[in-house]
Amino acid sequence: MLFTTLNFVVFLAIVLSLFYLLPRPARRYLLLASSLFFYMAWNAKFVVLILGLITIDYFAALWIIHKRGHARRMALLVSLCANVGLLGWFKYANFFRETFLHVLHPGMAVQPLDIILPLGISFHTFQSISYVIDVYRGEQPAITSYLDYALFVAFFPQLVAGPIVRAKEFFVDYFNWRAPTGEEWQRGVAMILTGFVKKLICADQFASVADRYYSNPQALPGLLPAWSGTIAFGLQIFFDFSGYTDIAIGVALLFGFHFPENFRRPYLAASVTEFWRRWHMTLSGWLRDYIYISAGGNRRGKVRTWANLMLTMLLGGLWHGASWNFIVWGGFHGAMLSIERAIWGKGERRGVVRIPLAIATFLIVNVGWAFFRAKTLTAAGFVMRQMVSPTPGEMLLNPVQVKLAAATLLIALAEEYRGALTWLTQSPAWLRTAAVVLTLLAIEIFTASDQSLPFVYFQF
Amino acid sequence: MELPEIQRAIEALPIESRRDLLVWLQATDMPRGWGLFRKRKPKHPVTLKRAVLWSLVSLALFLALDAAIFRSGWYYNYLEPNSTTGQLESQLFWLRHERPGATPEVAAIGDSRIAEGFSARKATAVSGDKLHFWNLAVSGSSPRGWYYLLRDGDPTHRRFKAIAFGIDHYSDQDGIETPATRISDLNYVVGRLRLTDCLDFSQSFLVPDFQHSVFVGCLFKGVTLRRDVQGLLENRKQRFAQAKDWRNNGHGYIDGYGGKPEDLTGLTRNSDTKTLNFPPGTKDWQSATALATVFHADAPQTGELTAYRKRWLGRIVEMYKDSPTQLIFLELPRAPLPTPELAARSRFIDSIRNRPKITVLPKEMFRDLEHPEVFADGLHLNEKGRPIFSERLGNTITELVLGR
Repeated sequence: MLFTTLNFVVFLAIVLSLFYLLPRPARRYLLLASSLFFYMAWNAKFVVLILGLITIDYFAALWIIHKRGHARRMALLVSLCANVGLLGWFKYANFFRETFLHVLHPGMAVQPLDIILPLGISFHTFQSISYVIDVYRGEQPAITSYLDYALFVAFFPQLVAGPIVRAKEFFVDYFNWRAPTGEEWQRGVAMILTGFVKKLICADQFASVADRYYSNPQALPGLLPAWSGTIAFGLQIFFDFSGYTDIAIGVALLFGFHFPENFRRPYLAASVTEFWRRWHMTLSGWLRDYIYISAGGNRRGKVRTWANLMLTMLLGGLWHGASWNFIVWGGFHGAMLSIERAIWGKGERRGVVRIPLAIATFLIVNVGWAFFRAKTLTAAGFVMRQMVSPTPGEMLLNPVQVKLAAATLLIALAEEYRGALTWLTQSPAWLRTAAVVLTLLAIEIFTASDQSLPFVYFQF
Repeated sequence: MELPEIQRAIEALPIESRRDLLVWLQATDMPRGWGLFRKRKPKHPVTLKRAVLWSLVSLALFLALDAAIFRSGWYYNYLEPNSTTGQLESQLFWLRHERPGATPEVAAIGDSRIAEGFSARKATAVSGDKLHFWNLAVSGSSPRGWYYLLRDGDPTHRRFKAIAFGIDHYSDQDGIETPATRISDLNYVVGRLRLTDCLDFSQSFLVPDFQHSVFVGCLFKGVTLRRDVQGLLENRKQRFAQAKDWRNNGHGYIDGYGGKPEDLTGLTRNSDTKTLNFPPGTKDWQSATALATVFHADAPQTGELTAYRKRWLGRIVEMYKDSPTQLIFLELPRAPLPTPELAARSRFIDSIRNRPKITVLPKEMFRDLEHPEVFADGLHLNEKGRPIFSERLGNTITELVLGR
């Protein structure tokens, strides 16, 4: 059930109405049942998998707080093995098998195993891992109610593609639940509409260009196709993923839950380091807290810091998908972060100097997207060569798409420096109403694709 | 105070205070600016009830605006005339604006084969001006579209003395294309669909994905018409002028149309290899359809065409059950070369053949026109075939209706 379909809108309206009509104790049952229904609408049989993981992690956390020493570590290990093991099997089995067989028998044609990737597994396993580790570290009390814990993992707004919500963030709202304020409700509605606009009008518009180019880059040689096709993908993936999380955050807000911010206008970043503070922030935070810091962070000298950055980003790349392209993409960002750290340290740049730095960062990030989007490393290498080709070639973005990109840049600047969205949610009722009505009309008329295209991050 | 100190102080706060702090931060997390985005403090904090009410009112206003644009008929004045919706809506516009006179009216309905092959002016002349013929054909349309065209074009079901339906073959033999899943039908009739039609109309598409898309497209017509709206917004002046000209003069253009000049003289077939030998100079658009019409492709026989015809032609028959209008079914010239009879029975046609006020013309009636000289391509009669077909059909209908 895609967020941008009528099915989801009807589902949300029903669940939301029931949520506020039912007495408070019954609401958690409703949320859990509707979350499982939401998941089963994609593939009913995989609900067994998610419930199995919930059960293991729930008991592992209880075991951790009730035992000492070796038993605690064993419980943590069981939980980690279950989560990483299942993620590894479903997501990486084919990749490692293929790589292994190619090393043993170069040139051999490997028939992939018939494995379906369960929806959202990368997200809910990371949530579960963070919960069990936090309990182990004593930073999070173990949840004693199975239902409460199951709802934390399966809560439908974040189940499929994040944001990756930590247990403490979720349970602060859950155990101290109160209805959203009027302003929060308005903000939730605004975020949902923003998400719809980002996905249906912007992402799907740029997707057509990126798909055209990356389906066969060799057919469109030259500098302009390589850059315009790659920038189109950069815009597509941003609008697609941030649109999804805007809807998720907005929906959660309507239920009285405050999800963490996941994107903060990343293409306005003036360095790759800043980009990762603004892009998929909940994943960046997760990688920082559970990999980078666990590996020693920046406490063991410069070289170790760079190595840790590289390791974190390589694993971050691998998290996105089982292919060498994602690993190279992660490595590219790890290298950029290390170089920046070596040159500038951690400080952020302010003032006019941000403008050329933001442009340079945008271009660097887009070079990385070429690895992310291309089907193979060979194809990515071809795109790299075309990005410095003297042949101009064909500009793939049409004037409407260029205008759309420019308009979204202006909106991002208005939001960054003037808080336009907050201003709008606090503006007079007539203005808010006009904005909602016109946005809905725009979604109706300017939706870019005839079909409901799935969100890009569903594949991760 | 340094940031870590502030963080520690916040962490020491009770949870309720932290939440209040969060709400406060959200409300103030905005640079104090100037100009357009100057921060304002609401006079009264918005309550949840008011916010929900505001959401519902906004939604209602959107639906009202959407209805005003796409359900009031206003937008249909500015449709691209050659679009699928534009063709059907133009026919309805002319029907509405030309009031029935003393001369009995006859409508010919069908797809592009009637549009190209039938001259209403010729047929009217053949009747000695005792009947006024309308060519209500819409290129690419199908019985699903004809039903809605007639439902709104002839709401009393009494306007026409007779309505002739040109169908490609009486046989219910299923082809490769399944008419029930033709999603483009939505674009033809979107202007005619009422809210109460949406469920029934979308359910007729058989495939769940299509049913969903069609339901959304029926509910929110802007989704279906978005390319047309985008086209209008891109070049408003040209569209307004084009739409106005078509409304005022389009019916005259169609009436004066003489047919395509091209023909397929010299076309031969090799039945063993299932190939056609086209005459020199044949263009792609001419040859593209000929193979499909001359050699009927084998497809699994599931009875879908019978069900489809029963559903949509059956509805038309039902709609005119108590009306004085005579319904006439005819088999169109099928291809530029004579083709073998299709194996499947004519279940639908046979089921209505003996009903009162229904006439099924003999299927051989236009078979002599199945010659490459009178076909412009694989489907359509040309300027030589058009007058022959029109004259014969006009004569036949005049005899049936006026009894001469």
